[in-house]
Formats: sequence, C-alpha cells, structure tokens
Amino acid sequence: MEKNQNDWNQVVIIGIGDHAVGPGPMSSIGLGSCVGLVIHDSEKCIGGLAHVMLPDSGGRTERPGKFADTAIDTLVTILVGQGCRKTALVAKMVGGAAMFKTLSENLNIGERNITAIKENLKQKNIPVKAECVGGSVGRTLTYYPSDGGKVVVKLADGKKNEI
Amino acid sequence: MDLSDTQRDALRELGNIGAAHAATTLSTMLMSNIEMDVPEIHLIDISKVYEHVGDEIAALVLFQITGEVSGGGYVLLHIPKNSVIRLTNAMLGMTELDRDLTEMDESALLEIGNIMVSAFLDATAGLLDVIMLPSPPSLIVDMPHAAFQSIITAQDAFDINEVVLFRTELKSDQHKITSNLFLLPNPPMLTDILAMLDKLLTP
Repeated sequence: MEKNQNDWNQVVIIGIGDHAVGPGPMSSIGLGSCVGLVIHDSEKCIGGLAHVMLPDSGGRTERPGKFADTAIDTLVTILVGQGCRKTALVAKMVGGAAMFKTLSENLNIGERNITAIKENLKQKNIPVKAECVGGSVGRTLTYYPSDGGKVVVKLADGKKNEI
Repeated sequence: MDLSDTQRDALRELGNIGAAHAATTLSTMLMSNIEMDVPEIHLIDISKVYEHVGDEIAALVLFQITGEVSGGGYVLLHIPKNSVIRLTNAMLGMTELDRDLTEMDESALLEIGNIMVSAFLDATAGLLDVIMLPSPPSLIVDMPHAAFQSIITAQDAFDINEVVLFRTELKSDQHKITSNLFLLPNPPMLTDILAMLDKLLTP
C-alpha cells in the first residue's frame, strides 16, 4: 500500500511490506530480519521508507515495498516523479538481524536482504550513507526527511542512536 | 484466506482448552490463581502486525511445532520484562524488582515455557487426536514485533500477505504477572486443523 507522508507533526508507521514517500516523519517498528530502507533526497529534504521483508520479488508486482528490488525501484520512481534528481539520492538501512538461532540457521534472510539491497542500490548508483544492520537484535527506525534525513535507531532496551 | 464464524468458534474453543491446561501448570508453579482471557483470533494483513504487537522489551520463548501436522507452526510465549522479574521472584522467593534479567530468569523462562507449551500442545493435539510436539525452546529478550516479523518471514513468505494470530492472555493478579501465549500456525497446518475440527463438528 502506498502512502504519502505530508503530515509534519505525526509519525506515520510503515508496516511490513509497506512504503511511503514525503517530507513528514515515518517509522518502522520492531525490525527483525526485515530491513527498513530509507532513500533520501539531500537537496529537497524529502524521501521514502520501505519495510523490506524479502530479497527478491521473483517478478511479483504487488506490494513493491515487501521486496528489495521492487522497493528500490518504486521509491526511486516516485521520488524522481516528484522532481528529485537521481544524483541527489542517498540511502540508509536498518535491520537485517537474525533474531532466533533456530530460525536463522536455515535461511539467514536478514543477511540476504542486506546484500540484495546493497546490490540493487549499486546498480542505480545510490550510495549507502549510513547503516545499522545485522547482529541479533530488533530495531525501531524513525526517519525525519525534513530534518536533514536524520534516522534514529532504537533498541529494545531503550538505547537510541542517530545515523 | 477467510475464516467463517464457525471456524473461528472452533479455533477459539481449541485454543481455550489448550490455554486452560497451560494456565493450570502456571498456577501450580506459582501457587496462585491464574486468570485467563477468551482467546482472540485475528486474521491480519502483514502490514498491520504492528497494531497487535509492539516494540516494548519482553521475553519471547519460541517453540516450533512438530509431529502429525503438515508444515507445523510456532508457539510463542510472551512475557513483558517486568513480569519476568516478578515471575522469577515469585518462584524463588526473592523480592528485588529493580534489576536486570540474569541467567536465573532465563532458566526459569525456559522451564516455565517448556511446561506451559507442552501442556498447551498436548491438550490441543489430544482434542484433534494427533501428536504435536514442541521443539526445544529458543529464548530472546527483545522486541515482540521483531520476533513475529522474523517468524513470519521464516515461513515461505513470498505469497504470504495475511497471518492468523491466535492469542490468549494469562495473568496472575496476586503476583502482577502478565503473559501471552501466541499460536502461529502456518497455512498448511491451519488447513489441517480446520479440516480436523470440521470432522469433529460433523455429527
């Protein structure tokens, strides 16, 4: 589901497989193996957030935010459609953890999500400006496009850091 | 996927019986009354999971279901951090509330989880006349949404856009302990369970 985030005062939550674009704050809570992918326009101070669940769409077009390849395509297309220059776009990514040992051993989806996003970004010449990925902890991401593209990462114990 | 009212009722009853057995074991271990809610059954879009589980720190004990059900699924015991401390304290006769979780809490959680989830699955499987066994538990202390998200993704998630979330709250007012038992059947297991319930309900 596509959302436009034009409300500057209210944080919009982007759930699993969703994405949104706009100048207002957006958040993805409790990222485990999923990756919160931010594509930010450093000139216009708007951007998009996708809550990516899997590395490859395999040709699926529904729920573009769910897959690394379609999420990047969609966010870039919308941003360029809103007048952003491709060369002004930068990416930030958060998540991609392996939460449970018993679940991670056979799949390691978190790591594959990170790799797929990096490859897709590289093809589009979008640099990864900051990341907080991997490990085994859950993370909540909040993105403030109008505040210089600031991304705040919160951990379960309440610790926060800015990337 | 759609669930009819009859199917929801049957699932709720199944959960009720399972949770009642889990509650009895918890009651025995704590030597206190346990209050139990009517199980909730939600069929939710993956993008709305955050409306049901948040990112407040909690102990999460995960069991995979194995046995005579295709595909299996997961049972997750969710206990908020403050409740974990009160739970261990109640079991071991301690009083310190303002402390971090230790190995002692972890052992207590694994033990309680094992006993409660075994009782839950035994009762559920008994009603369906099949065998369901819990895998060894896996414990993390982290964000519930991150755990659910990882569990959903670990299934063959390409075409999964909805999940069945099955929740029963178990509480001890005396010790101020809250816990939730979640059953997350994957689609083949849910189909299996619904077919078995259908057979039970057909005269």
